[in-house]
Amino acid sequence: MNNGAGRRINGGVEEEDDEDDVNGDLDAWERTYTDERSWESLQEDESGMLRPIDNQALYHSQYRRRLRSLSSTAARIQKGLIRYLYIVIDLSKAASEMDFRPSRIAVIAKHVEAFIREFFYQNPLSQVGIVTIKDGVANCLTDIGGSPESHINALMKKLECSGDSSLQNALDLVDGYLNQIPSYGHREVLILYSALSTCDPGDIMETIQKCRKSKIRCSIIGLAAEMFICKHLCQETGGTYSVALDESHFKELILEHAPPPPAIAEFAVANLIKMGFPQRAAEGSISICSCHKEAKVGAGYTCPRCKARACELPTECSVCGLTLVSSPHLARSYHHLFPIAPFDEVPSSHLNDPIRKQKINCFGCQQNLLDSGNKAGLAVVCPKCKRYFCLDCDIYIHESLHNCPGCDSFRHSKAAPASED
Amino acid sequence: MKFLIEDVTVYFPYDHIYPEQYSYMIELKRALDAKGHCLLEMPTGTGKTIALLSLITSYSFSRPHTPIKLIYCTRTVHEMEKTLAELTLLHNYQVKHLGPQARILAIGLSSRKNLCVNPTVVASENRDSVDAGCRKLTASWVRAMAAENPDVPTCEFFENYEKAASAAVLPPGVYTLQELRAFGKQKGWCPYFLARHMVQVANVVVYSYQYLLDPKVAGIISKEMQKESVVVFDEAHNIDNVCIEALSVSIRRQTLEGATRNLSRISQEIDGFKATDASRLRTEYNRLVEGLALRGNLPIADNWLSNPALPDDILKEAVPGNIRKAEHFLHVLRRLVQYLSGRLDTENVEKESPVGFVASISSHAGIDQKTLKFCYDRLHSLMLTLEITDTDEFLHIQTICDFATLVGTYGRGFSIIIEPFDERMPSIPDPILQLSCHDASLAIKPVFERFQSVVITSGTLSPIDLFPRLLDFHPVVSRSFKMSLTRDCICPMVLTRGSDQLPVSTKFDMRSDPGVVRNYGKLLLEMVSVVPDGIVCFFVSYSYMDGIINTWNDTGILKDIMQHKLVFIETQDVVETTLALDNYRRACDCGRGAVFFSVARGKVAEGIDFDRHYGRLVIMFGVPFQYTLSKLEYLRDTFQIKEGDFLTFDALQRQAAQCVGRVIRSKADYGMMIFADKRYSQHDKRSKLPSWILSHLQDANLNLSTDMALHIAREFLRKMAQPYDKTGSSDRKTLLSQEDLEKMGDGSMHEMLY
Repeated sequence: MNNGAGRRINGGVEEEDDEDDVNGDLDAWERTYTDERSWESLQEDESGMLRPIDNQALYHSQYRRRLRSLSSTAARIQKGLIRYLYIVIDLSKAASEMDFRPSRIAVIAKHVEAFIREFFYQNPLSQVGIVTIKDGVANCLTDIGGSPESHINALMKKLECSGDSSLQNALDLVDGYLNQIPSYGHREVLILYSALSTCDPGDIMETIQKCRKSKIRCSIIGLAAEMFICKHLCQETGGTYSVALDESHFKELILEHAPPPPAIAEFAVANLIKMGFPQRAAEGSISICSCHKEAKVGAGYTCPRCKARACELPTECSVCGLTLVSSPHLARSYHHLFPIAPFDEVPSSHLNDPIRKQKINCFGCQQNLLDSGNKAGLAVVCPKCKRYFCLDCDIYIHESLHNCPGCDSFRHSKAAPASED
Repeated sequence: MKFLIEDVTVYFPYDHIYPEQYSYMIELKRALDAKGHCLLEMPTGTGKTIALLSLITSYSFSRPHTPIKLIYCTRTVHEMEKTLAELTLLHNYQVKHLGPQARILAIGLSSRKNLCVNPTVVASENRDSVDAGCRKLTASWVRAMAAENPDVPTCEFFENYEKAASAAVLPPGVYTLQELRAFGKQKGWCPYFLARHMVQVANVVVYSYQYLLDPKVAGIISKEMQKESVVVFDEAHNIDNVCIEALSVSIRRQTLEGATRNLSRISQEIDGFKATDASRLRTEYNRLVEGLALRGNLPIADNWLSNPALPDDILKEAVPGNIRKAEHFLHVLRRLVQYLSGRLDTENVEKESPVGFVASISSHAGIDQKTLKFCYDRLHSLMLTLEITDTDEFLHIQTICDFATLVGTYGRGFSIIIEPFDERMPSIPDPILQLSCHDASLAIKPVFERFQSVVITSGTLSPIDLFPRLLDFHPVVSRSFKMSLTRDCICPMVLTRGSDQLPVSTKFDMRSDPGVVRNYGKLLLEMVSVVPDGIVCFFVSYSYMDGIINTWNDTGILKDIMQHKLVFIETQDVVETTLALDNYRRACDCGRGAVFFSVARGKVAEGIDFDRHYGRLVIMFGVPFQYTLSKLEYLRDTFQIKEGDFLTFDALQRQAAQCVGRVIRSKADYGMMIFADKRYSQHDKRSKLPSWILSHLQDANLNLSTDMALHIAREFLRKMAQPYDKTGSSDRKTLLSQEDLEKMGDGSMHEMLY
């Protein structure tokens, strides 16, 4: 599907880097074939004809399983909405390998960018920092902060890979930073690990225990294969460990980390957090902004406590340290606490019922739920309003919309008060 | 869960059972019904042990009037502990469901080294010195002396045990070695002798192969076992080698020197006795005239060596006149040692049959066959008479007598090989004289004859018709079971070409080709960069491994490998290799990653599992053929087994399969195996691989070059890293609950499996 399309686009990019060591003795045209192995995305059907592998049902069943596992645990548990997340990016030699097109690091960078945006969109009250591992040393690329742009810009500038990778150094560094944050924040590390080994100066088991004691939730996404130490780390600290099959799977895996995880029980105490709701400054007014230290015209926010000026929200006021948010940010964090129930799958025999056959359309996009061959496709039904939806709408509703159109329209037609559920 | 197999209610301690375990039990039950021997093959990691234990114990409950005894033989102490742990679990479950009538006595028996609780004795470092230390304190004459003179040290645990006499019994239950020691300490009884005593009455006995197969030990430990016993040999794929080793002797120069020392000490002792207590030697002489059978009257602690492989008549016959007197016997032994050391001075490899050898002894040293035959028992009797307790000092002369007895007894099935030097170091003379046994059935024959059912089981026994011929017995059931897997967790590959498309092989004419060595190096180098944690490499021999590692070191490949993973090498030194293995594990645990270089027939790493992350990939460099011409000839003549059949069986079935089989120990595990030799792609070789590997060997993976293998490895590792669903989807059911079993009749069960 989109996987194949992505490859084709990236194929063009790849041809430019001529000096690669791995396949240096092959011609460019050979390389495209050996690396891409496009024949593997084809399979033979019963009559011996070639057809692309039908992955859609597979992907969707994976998605459903994930959704169900999430909703079964997440029925009424507290969620950590204020997250302090360090993204650790492995820039060792292994990250420059080309089994992802054009290279692992390019793919990582692309999806980290998307992830950071998505992360702030879903968790407006949270903050992110980036740490890189290179030549066996961990470096802090950006300090923890709430501005997606600054992180993305800093990351894009530093994408050279070299040397070994050291998990322990990275964990030690992150542990040092995260220990300072206030107790209401949820400490998390997301490690994007390309290497298959770690060269550590000391005993990594001690470091893992240290992370566990300071309640840091470590999650790892591997790009090559399952490593024992990564699995161990994730198990000990309550994080998740996954390995990406290909680029689209990697994207899915990294975006899974965007919704807030369940809160660790010991931290689930009620806390009062001070926040300011700054006013947007009048258009055309000129003032010096506190974040960039330069004069700017218009489009800024004024801290309600110290009147300093910030360029974007959400952020922390650099003068008085107040958390500055806007009300839509709070509202956007809200839906995590009341997720919509997962839809039930409809048995295909039900759809094939000749009486109903005519009228079954997806309530979301109004497409007919029957395939062109008059064979029943997959469909789902909302357990509350009993409307049918197609698979694409199912995903859209659960991952982006967070409201069921069926239930909402039902309520409007009855002229019920538009209370949020 | 409990369920019915025909008329037996089986108590199984887990809630779920694998389908293959279920059918394994069915076959086993039929073999028990038929009171015959059976041969069962089931891949590792499918829970053979628990299936065996629970079926046999349940079988014995269901037939209370004819109780059967289970004798369970394992290869190592570690396996023994594991078996006993499983048995504890099973026992608790059965007692919970059946009540007190399910109580059984199950014990593990091991050497004194593992069981002794006397702090002064157990402090010695090796097995032989613990044995000798124990004898010094417990031999009957030592105790008799201690009765007169309280200064003579004895073992308080043994004394207490003797005092308790018939009251010294173990209450029913399952005793691991640990628990046995604890029990002994608490009661003040010697656990070793207690266990040896209880072996006769226990319902389940777990011990090592040697106690049944090695004629030197079997007679003492296992002679009083009842006929209605079920003997299980677990992990028995090497059982023929164990049998052969039990009857093979090798003599080096050191052995002969030690024997000479021993002889002069014995002669001093004799002189001493002559001066002080001449009557003792005379009584011995009289006893020998009457025959060796009298030996049975000696007290049990002294009964330390005997030889059931000897024909019965030897025990009744009088000892030949020329060795009845102690001095004469010593002269005979001196001449024998002299003769052997003369034979060792040879420059070329010599091979001789026992008959020829005996003839040559008789003409050169004047010792006839009958005298040779009695050497072992004559020495034994002499040492008892002389009250020698530090038996570990006398190992050398015992080896010589052992050799003499075997040569004198068996005219066929053995050959004598004299090699002037080790083949790896032809410049250093290190002569060795080997009496090597070719016939595995000799040692195991008494076992088959004595016991009602013998179960031989392992992960790799196929081709299943070869074992009955090698061991010369007739199984009533021989079956091979497949493993039901929820996912394709093993990925075998046959690699025939290197990265430059040239063929790779360890065939004799190619093995030293620098291109092959380089290609092998490249293969490993590529693999270390894509496979996480542990990789195990098997080479065909120590000499080949040394050579190839040297070359890799010179060309810098080894250095490149070290950048990705640490390298550990198996050597012939036990301590060194244990240390290397330990560090290998640590490197895998902490994420550094490691490669272990091992030898396919290496003794040291044998029996060590490389499961989970300790072995994600096994590379077999070459085909591990073992070439012993005389053995092959013997097999051909006696059992009609073709040379080629045995060679490929031995190399592929056993060695290769064992090497790669150690990677997967459970269904949740996964691993890859690369057979790097072009000969593996030949159909006749490949088809000899065990079926559980063959069924996963896709045609696409048959003729790979390095870069293709690399790609497959990447894909496989990614796929296997995905979350694992234990029960399997509905159409590939791999775990059965009690309801499932009840629901499905036998018919559907069979459909599913075959």
